[in-house]
Amino acid sequence: MLLVPCPNCGPRNSTDLRYGGESHARPDPNTASPAEWRAYLYLRDNPAGWLRENWYCASGCRRWFSIERNTATNEFRDPPLPGDKRGGAA
Amino acid sequence: MAEAASPQNSAPQSPAFESPVVRSYPAMRAGDLTLSDESAVTKWLVRAGADGPAADLLGAPFGTSRAVAGGALVLGSRPGEWIVLGTAGEVAATVADLAGCEEQEFCSALDWTHGRAMFRVTGTSAARMLEKVCGLDWSDHMTPEGAVVSASVALVTCDIARNDRDGVRSYLIFCDRSFGQYLFDALIDAGNEFGLSVAAASHSHSAD
Repeated sequence: MLLVPCPNCGPRNSTDLRYGGESHARPDPNTASPAEWRAYLYLRDNPAGWLRENWYCASGCRRWFSIERNTATNEFRDPPLPGDKRGGAA
Repeated sequence: MAEAASPQNSAPQSPAFESPVVRSYPAMRAGDLTLSDESAVTKWLVRAGADGPAADLLGAPFGTSRAVAGGALVLGSRPGEWIVLGTAGEVAATVADLAGCEEQEFCSALDWTHGRAMFRVTGTSAARMLEKVCGLDWSDHMTPEGAVVSASVALVTCDIARNDRDGVRSYLIFCDRSFGQYLFDALIDAGNEFGLSVAAASHSHSAD
């Protein structure tokens, strides 16, 4: 079982949350090239190690948050504090 | 369809209430646990800033509950969301108190009475029963009297409030109306081994 530390609800079973994928910055729509949009939409780093991800606490507080997870060990670190405005942004 | 209203002109007036629990249940072995359908209780959802004037007025931060002076019970169900329970008059009085907050922040109040099912489980084994269908820690140090949490119960997203009765452990469980019958049956299934009995359902809309 994967316990995800929600900043509002505390540790929750991952089945109570929804995985939102890698967290990376959205390019500026006024200046981004098609290649940058493609990279933003479709390309992922997929490292074997620490990765910042978005999670949605679907059964709990219904808030998005971003957190770092080690994809090799499933350890978590740097959870946002309650009320942190980072949300799903990188 | 639920009526959206601002606190200033909100007046809980609902049509005849029909419970989502439509099956009848035979007398069961009387035991430690009691399950009752309290869906008819007036329920309003209030949304506002998590740290604004409405939050100060309601006085129940996320994860806690408070009985307000007018008699209603306020549950801090999510950051910036509250469930107000009680008779129609009690809830109306609490929602009306929010009228002054509109000038300072966006604040909405929605009559949830017909859209949400609400069940009460009472008994010393209530926590052990919930442990069968929900992954949270129901011990006293994690969910003391007055605690409010949101979690999956029998795979249904629910709001759960600990609201003890005469010193006996008791939980209020809310879910979307469409899941009401299923969840009621799932709770009966989970509670049978503890000697659960089903209390007579209240099918009337609560009012003063």
